[in-house]
Amino acid sequence: MNTLPLRYAAQALYYWERRQEVLANNLANAETDGFKGMRVFARLMEGALLAPDAATDFRQGALTPTGQPLDLAIEGDGFFVVQTARGERLSRGGSLRLDEAGRLVDGSGRVLLGERGPIVVPPGTVEVDRDGVVRVDGTEVGRLRIERLPEGAEPVRDEGTLFVPAAERIRVPEGERRVRQGFIERSNVNPLDGLVEMITVQRNYAAIERSIRVLDGVLERISNDIGRVS
Amino acid sequence: MDPALRAAATGMAAQQTRVEVIANNLANVNTPGFKRSRAHFEDLLYQMAQGASAVGGPSVTTLPAIQVGRGTRLAAVQRIETQGPIEQTGRPLDLAIEGAGYFQVQLPNGMTAYTRDGSFMISDQGTLVTHGGYAVLPGVEVPPDAMSITISRSGVVTVEAAGATEPIEIGRIELARFANPSGLLALGENLFAETPASGPAITGFPQEEGFGRIVQGSLEASNVEIVQEMVDMIAALRAYEINSKAVKASEDMAEITNGMVR
Repeated sequence: MNTLPLRYAAQALYYWERRQEVLANNLANAETDGFKGMRVFARLMEGALLAPDAATDFRQGALTPTGQPLDLAIEGDGFFVVQTARGERLSRGGSLRLDEAGRLVDGSGRVLLGERGPIVVPPGTVEVDRDGVVRVDGTEVGRLRIERLPEGAEPVRDEGTLFVPAAERIRVPEGERRVRQGFIERSNVNPLDGLVEMITVQRNYAAIERSIRVLDGVLERISNDIGRVS
Repeated sequence: MDPALRAAATGMAAQQTRVEVIANNLANVNTPGFKRSRAHFEDLLYQMAQGASAVGGPSVTTLPAIQVGRGTRLAAVQRIETQGPIEQTGRPLDLAIEGAGYFQVQLPNGMTAYTRDGSFMISDQGTLVTHGGYAVLPGVEVPPDAMSITISRSGVVTVEAAGATEPIEIGRIELARFANPSGLLALGENLFAETPASGPAITGFPQEEGFGRIVQGSLEASNVEIVQEMVDMIAALRAYEINSKAVKASEDMAEITNGMVR
């Protein structure tokens, strides 16, 4: 008996499920600063089997002015580098603060890395220029590392709105850096698009479910009715 | 469908927290020196929904890896330290700071607290105190025969006493500033305490390098803007609704799956 169509349909259900899961995560993070949404799309395997694939949407989130000296955002390409227990991670910035040792840390306490390790901020007025040079009362205290993800490959995400960097550092050269002090980059998820997509997902899921019922009906006829002498 | 359901639920919880923060901002729209807060969120752990794996067949192809996120969580609630509007009250002991700085206040336990609320009074001992009764640092003693009190932009306190022709200088208001004012711990009563996150207090006189100036007869109003908060509340409500729709959609899909077996 040919059950291949059923397998195709099951794979399609799986695809729409993944899409709903990613969509739900995007919508949950519609108000998460620096969040980059994910997009799931279908890929044909062996010409017939549907497989989900995902890509990160790296479009710029809206930059909201906050006037806070320790709110940092990057316009365009690039990431800050933070130290986590699992190694270095890339971050789009956000609301920073100082820890007990006076080091520059992100909202969850992860240390921001400069070219020469953590940046210790003495008391005073903090200024960060577009190249990521941190000055306190006019004196340079450190230079933030601004790096890129490798092009082409889909980046690996980590909790805390972070990305896993490539093994080799890819520095963003001075002049191409656009660090904005006093700004926060909002999530780039558009909830309205998400809502529309959710309707699409649901309708398609229901349609495939119906086609599975039809296929099931056909298989039932084949198993029970064909060859019956009434 | 469970991951989708849970991710959407975290989104709903996050928006609820956001509304709580907005509600507190709105409740303090008339609190002098109040600074509005904003909730910050970050995403949760990612899980490999499917690893990069090989699919069988004549030509082996690899299935791409997909990371599925588990939703969002509260990272921090941050105070937005922008200048509030200076409102004239005409009361000589109402002081506003235009620019950076906090008044220093002595707490009963000996700790120093900081405030932007300069609605001061004179205690029965003649010292300058906050409306909560805490002494303003450094102590300023107003002589009992003082007729009027003048506080200059740079914080110099002078009084005109009965009989004296020249105004007498009785002290100077000192301010404190911080590398990261958002890191201060709110104690209630418009008071804040120094924390490692704020950095140590740097004290100095008003109008000096990095400090704001004192405006007598005025108070700094709350920096909460009702329109802004309303807009944020609508946004939070819509985001909450959309996440609840995601819960519903995920549940509907699970129901469809359950209905497949006859």
